[in-house]
Amino acid sequence: MRKILILQFLFFHLATTNLLSQDYSILSIAPDLLVNSNAIVRNEAIEVSILAVDKMRIKTKRVVSVLNQNGDQHIQAYDFYDENRKIKDQRVIVYNSRGEVIDKIKQRNFDHRSLHGSGTLFSDNRLSYLNYTIKEYPITIAYESVVETNSTIFIQPWKPIENYNLSVERASYRFVNPNAIPFRFEQNNFQELDFDKNNSDSELFYEVQNISAIEHEVLSPDLSSFLPQVYVALNEFALVGVQGKASNWKELGKWQYDYLLKGKTALPQETVVMINNLTANAPSEREKAEIVYNYVQENTRYISVQLGIGGWEPMHAKDVDELGYGDCKALTNYTKALLESLGIPSYYTVVYGGKKNNIDPEFASMQGNHVILNLPFEGEEVWLECTSQSTPFNYLGDFTDDRKVLKITPEGGEIISTPNYSTEVNLKKSFSEILLNEDGGFSANVTCENSGIPYGDIYGIRNLKEDHQKIYYREKWGHLKELEIAEIVFENDRDSVVFTENLKIKGVKLASKAGNRLLLPLDFLPAKFFSLPRNQARKLPLVIQRGKTYKDVFQYKIPEKFKIESIPDPFSIENEFGKLFFKASITGIDGTQLKVERLLVLKEGNWGSSKYNAYRKFMNQIRSFTNQKAVLVSN
Amino acid sequence: MKHFYFFIISVLSVCLLQAQNYKFGKVSKEEVLEKVHPKYKEANAAILFREHRVYYDLNQNTGLSLVTEVHERIKIYNKEGLKWANKTISGYQNGTERDDIGNIKGYTYNIEDGKLVDEKLRNNGIFNEETNKYILKTKFTMPAVTEGSVIEYKYTITSPFTTSIDDVPLQFEIPVKRLEAEIKIPEFFGFRMHYNPKSPIIFPINKSTETFTYRYTQKSRTGQRVVSTDYDQRSIDYLLNNYDFKRNDIPPLKKEMYVDYLQNYAAYLRWELKYTQFPDSPVENYSRTWEGVAKSIYNDSGLKQEVNRTNFFDKDIDKLLSDTKDRTGKLAKIFNYVKNKITWNDFIGFRAESGIKSAYIKGAGNTGDINLMLVSMLRYAGFEANPVLVSTKSHGIPIYPTRNGFNYVIAAVETQDDFVLMDATDKNVAIGELPNRAMNWRGRIIREDGTSDWVNLMPTVKSENITMLNMQFDDDMVLQGKLVRKLNGLHAKKFRDDYAGLAKKDYIPVLEKNKGNIEISDVTISNEKAIGKIIKQSYNFELKNAMEIINEKIYFKPMVFAGLTENPFKGKERNYPIFFDFPSSDSNTINFLIPEGYEVESLPESAIVDLKNGAGVFKFVVALNGKFLRIESSLDLNNIVYSSLDYEGLKNFYSEMVNKHSEAIVLTKS
Repeated sequence: MRKILILQFLFFHLATTNLLSQDYSILSIAPDLLVNSNAIVRNEAIEVSILAVDKMRIKTKRVVSVLNQNGDQHIQAYDFYDENRKIKDQRVIVYNSRGEVIDKIKQRNFDHRSLHGSGTLFSDNRLSYLNYTIKEYPITIAYESVVETNSTIFIQPWKPIENYNLSVERASYRFVNPNAIPFRFEQNNFQELDFDKNNSDSELFYEVQNISAIEHEVLSPDLSSFLPQVYVALNEFALVGVQGKASNWKELGKWQYDYLLKGKTALPQETVVMINNLTANAPSEREKAEIVYNYVQENTRYISVQLGIGGWEPMHAKDVDELGYGDCKALTNYTKALLESLGIPSYYTVVYGGKKNNIDPEFASMQGNHVILNLPFEGEEVWLECTSQSTPFNYLGDFTDDRKVLKITPEGGEIISTPNYSTEVNLKKSFSEILLNEDGGFSANVTCENSGIPYGDIYGIRNLKEDHQKIYYREKWGHLKELEIAEIVFENDRDSVVFTENLKIKGVKLASKAGNRLLLPLDFLPAKFFSLPRNQARKLPLVIQRGKTYKDVFQYKIPEKFKIESIPDPFSIENEFGKLFFKASITGIDGTQLKVERLLVLKEGNWGSSKYNAYRKFMNQIRSFTNQKAVLVSN
Repeated sequence: MKHFYFFIISVLSVCLLQAQNYKFGKVSKEEVLEKVHPKYKEANAAILFREHRVYYDLNQNTGLSLVTEVHERIKIYNKEGLKWANKTISGYQNGTERDDIGNIKGYTYNIEDGKLVDEKLRNNGIFNEETNKYILKTKFTMPAVTEGSVIEYKYTITSPFTTSIDDVPLQFEIPVKRLEAEIKIPEFFGFRMHYNPKSPIIFPINKSTETFTYRYTQKSRTGQRVVSTDYDQRSIDYLLNNYDFKRNDIPPLKKEMYVDYLQNYAAYLRWELKYTQFPDSPVENYSRTWEGVAKSIYNDSGLKQEVNRTNFFDKDIDKLLSDTKDRTGKLAKIFNYVKNKITWNDFIGFRAESGIKSAYIKGAGNTGDINLMLVSMLRYAGFEANPVLVSTKSHGIPIYPTRNGFNYVIAAVETQDDFVLMDATDKNVAIGELPNRAMNWRGRIIREDGTSDWVNLMPTVKSENITMLNMQFDDDMVLQGKLVRKLNGLHAKKFRDDYAGLAKKDYIPVLEKNKGNIEISDVTISNEKAIGKIIKQSYNFELKNAMEIINEKIYFKPMVFAGLTENPFKGKERNYPIFFDFPSSDSNTINFLIPEGYEVESLPESAIVDLKNGAGVFKFVVALNGKFLRIESSLDLNNIVYSSLDYEGLKNFYSEMVNKHSEAIVLTKS
C-alpha cells in the first residue's frame, strides 16, 4: 500500500522555505498533483520550538490551493486557544489562480467561538478562525500563525497528508530544542521510502515533496495506518505547569498516576458502609464488582465537562458521589474508588474510543481520548465502560474493543489489549414463522437474537417510543410492503449479553403474482451483504474490521389453495472471506410448508487490494443466491 | 373537536387532583415517589410545574429593563429523561449591552431511606459561555439526579433589549402538569400577542389591565454660589397590561420522524411590538401592514438607491448587449452575466451587504448585492424589473407583518400579465426558476414608486423526467440494454446540483449504485452546463441475475432498476403536512424484446390510479405486439403541498405504484 505514495523524501538541515518567493499560480502545479484532488498543500512549514520545559512555540505556515468547494476543509486557517494556550499571531494572504495577491486578513478580523459539540456541556477551549468567502475557484490561501503554550507534554505530530483527495507539493516539519532536553521521536510509514536520516539532539527536520492525492475506497484501512507520520515527545515535560519526566510507558503511566490520579479515591464513610452492605451477601469478588457497577449505573450520569489540568484530571470520587455525575475519567475513577473500598483492585485504563485505534505501544506520549476500567480477576480480565447507564457488566462493544490500551497502576503504565469479539461471538440468529395467504400477503412471528457486537448495535432500541420502534422496523424491512407491527417484545439478558426481539408482523404482496402462480422470495429477512462498486484498479487493501455470523430460519406455511411447484437447489460456498449456506426444503405432512435455512459468515480480515474483486463477487453471490424464489401454483 | 373533548376531560380531572404546593422548595414526597406519568405512560420526564413571569423593571440608576423569571420543577422518570437535568439558557449581546442571566437556584430531591433529601446546585455545576459575538449561554447541570429524582430550579434574565420579548413557551416535548405564565407590560409598549398558527392547540389567555404608580425622587439644584438641593417626591401613574395563563395538564408535543423543527409546531405566545409611547414623547409606530413593511424596507434599507445605481456598469452592459436586439436575448445575457460575474458568499439578506458597486468590483456578494444588481442592470437595459422580498424556507412564514418576516430578495421582470422571477445567486437555476430555499410562502414585489404586491413563488410548471429503456436478453441470459433520459426544469437543476462537475469515472459508480449486478458503459450527458436546456443522458448497461429461470419458465420484473421498490411513506399516520419540492412528471418507458424460443405466459395488468381528484395520477400501461413488449409507467404530481389528512391517500397511491412495479412477467418455452 505504501508503494502508491510517490514520495520524494528530502532531508534538509538549515534550508528554510521562503513563503513569499514561491509561485502560487495554479498553472505551476505539477499535473500529477491535480489528479483526484480537491486541494493541494502548496507549502506547509511547521516549526515547533521548545523554549523551556514549560514553554513551547508553534509556528505554522500553510499555503493551500483549493480547486473546488470540497477542498475548503483543507484550508485549516484556525487555531485553538484557552487559558494555557495563547495565539500570538494569525494572518492570511489570499491569492487568485494566477498567483496574485487579492486579499490580506489580519488577526483582528478572525472570528471566535467556543469549541465543543452538543455532547459536551462545557469546555473552555475556543477557536479563532478565518471566516472568508471564496469567490472563485481555484484559490490559494496562505495562513500563518504563532501559538504559545505552557504544556509541552503534547507535541504536535507531523502528518503531511491527513485526508483523501488532498495532494502535497511540499511540506516540512522542524522540531527545535535549543536546550537539548532529552526527547524521543518515532517515524511511521516511511519504511519503503528512500531517505536519509540525520537528526541531532537539538533538532529534527523533515520534508516531503510531490505526494499525489489518495482516493477513498470502500472497506479500506484507516488512513493513519499507512500514511507517513512523525511523533515527538520530551522526556522532561510540563502539563499546564505540572512538570514531569518519563521516557517510556512505565514512567509516563507512573507520572499520570502520581499527578493526575493519586489521592482521588477517598469516599464518604456512609457510602463505604452502604456499598459494603450492598455487596455483603455476594459470594465472589466478581459478583461484588457487578453490584458496584450496577450501583454506579443507577446513581450517576455521564456529563462531559472538560476541565482540570487540560482536561486530563478526574474529579474526586467524593465529588462524584455527591453530585451524581461526571465525565469518563470521573466515573471510571469513582467506580474504581467504590471497588477499592471493598478491597477489589481495578485499573484506570486510557483508550482511543471509536474506530479501532491503538495506543502506540512503542511510543510513550499523552494519547487516548477515553477512559475505561480494567479488573484483573483470576483467569479473567473484566472491563467496565463506566459512562453508560445501560451497558451490561463486562461489555465493551465496538467503541473500545480489540485495541491496545494504557493501563495505569501505582507502579507505572502498561500496554495491554481489550478483548476482541470474534466472528462466532458476533451472532445474529433469527427464526420466523410465516403464514402466507392466497393474495401473497403474510403474517409472521419473528424472533431475532443478537449477541456480541450486534448486541450493542440494537439494545438501545428498547428506549425508543413505540411508534419510533415501529418506524425503525418499517425502514429496516422496507422490502416488506405495508408492514404492520402488531406486537414488539424485547428481552434484554444482561447476564449473557443477548438481546432478543420478538415481533408479530403482517404485510401484503410478499409473494408476487405471475398469472396463476405466486413467486415467493426465500429471503424473508434479507441477508447482510455490502453493495460494492466495480473497481478494476483497486489500490488500497480490503479490511473487514469485525466478523459476523448470521443464522436464519424461515418457516413458510403455504395457503391451502396452492401447492409448491418448485424450490431452488441447496447452495453452499466457503472461501477465505466467509461462508454461505442456503437450503430450502418442503416439509409438513402434505407438503404445505417450506423451510429455508441460511447461514452466512462474514469473517474479519485484512486482504490485499487484488482480492477486492473476489470479495465483490462473493457479495454478488450472496445477493443472487439468497434472493431466489419458490414457485407456488394454485390447485 | 377532538381537542375540545380532551380539554373538558382534563378540566374535570384537575378538580379531582389533590392541590399541589408549587412554592419553590416545597417538593413533596409523593412527587419523588411517582414512578410513571399517570396519563402519558411513555414520558421519560415531565414538567410538574413551570412558572414564567415577564415584567418591566424601572430602575432609577439603570433605567428600564425587561425581566424574565422562570421557575421549573421537573420529574425524571427514567434514564432517558436524565437529559432534562441539564439546562441551557441563552442570552443576547450586541457589543455594548448584554443580557444578564442570574439568580440561579436549584435543588435535586430524592428519597433516601424513606426520607426526602435535597442536594443543592452549587457553582461548580454552573457554566457561563460566550458562544459567539451575539450569543451568551449559561448552562447548569443538576446534582445527584437519578431515575425518580425531582429537580427544581429558578433563574432570572435581565435584559436591556426592552423592545423585544422572547416567545413564551406553552408546550414541550414532555407533558406539563401545571403551567403558569404572567406577562405584565406597561402601556409604554404596545405589544400585540400572537399564538403559533402551526400549533394544533390554542390555549386561551386572560387579559386584564391595572394601574400602577411609579414613585421616584427628583433632585433639583438651585442657586449660584450657595447651592441648595431639593428632593422632590414625584410619581407617575400608568396602565399595566396583564396577560395571564394558568393551565393543568398540557400534552407533550408529538414527535414524528422527518419533522426538523418540532418546536415550530409547539404552542407558544409571540409578541409583536406595534408602537412605543413613553411619557412626554410622541408615539413611535412599529405597527405594519405588508404594504408598509415593503415600503419601509425599500426606502430605509437602501434598496431604492441600489436598484437605481447604474454608472459603474453601464459601459460593460452596453458592450454586452451591443449586438443583441430581442428582449429575450437581452434578458438571458444579463442574467448570465450577473451569475458568472458575481459569486454568492452564502449570506442571505434583502440588503445589499457590500453595496452593489463594491460587490461588482469584488466579484462576490450576498443575495441582496447580487439580485439588486440584477434588477438595476435590467432596468438599465429597459426592462420593467423590480425586487421581490422573500422569506426563505428555513425562515418560515411570518405570523404578522414585520420587517423580520423577510430575509431574502430576488428579481422579477413584469410582463403584461405575469412576472418572470430570477435569482442569480444559484448558478444552476434558469430564468423563471428559483432555488429551493426561495420557494416558500409568497413574495412581495416592490415597484419604483414604492407600491407593492404579492407574487406567487411556488413553481407551477411541471418538471419532467422522461426515461426510455430498450433491452433484451443475450444468449447468456444477461440483460443488455440502453437507457435514454431527458430532464428539464427543476429536475435538470437538481441533476446539475448533484452531479455537475463530477468526473465521468466517478459518475459511473453513482449510476451503478443500487441497481444490482450491473455494468454501465458509454455514458453520455449533454447540456450539462447549458442551464435552462434539457439534459439528455444515455448509457448502455449489462444486468446479470435480472431474471430467474424456474422449471423452464422465465420470471422477470420488467421495470428492472427503474421501478419503485419501497413506499417512501412508512408511518401509520401523520400530524404535519407533506411537502414535495416541485410539481413533477416522471415517466419510464420499457421496450423489451421477448427472447427467442419463449412466449409470454402472463403479463402484469394495466392500471390507472388517481390521487385526490387529479392532484396526482399514476399510469401503468402494458402492451404486447408480437415479440415486443412495451410498458409505460408514469407518475404525475400536480400539487406540492398535501395536508396531513391526505396522508393515507398518498400512502396508498405510492403503495399501488410499488405493487405494479414489482409484478413479474412469466415467459414459457414455445
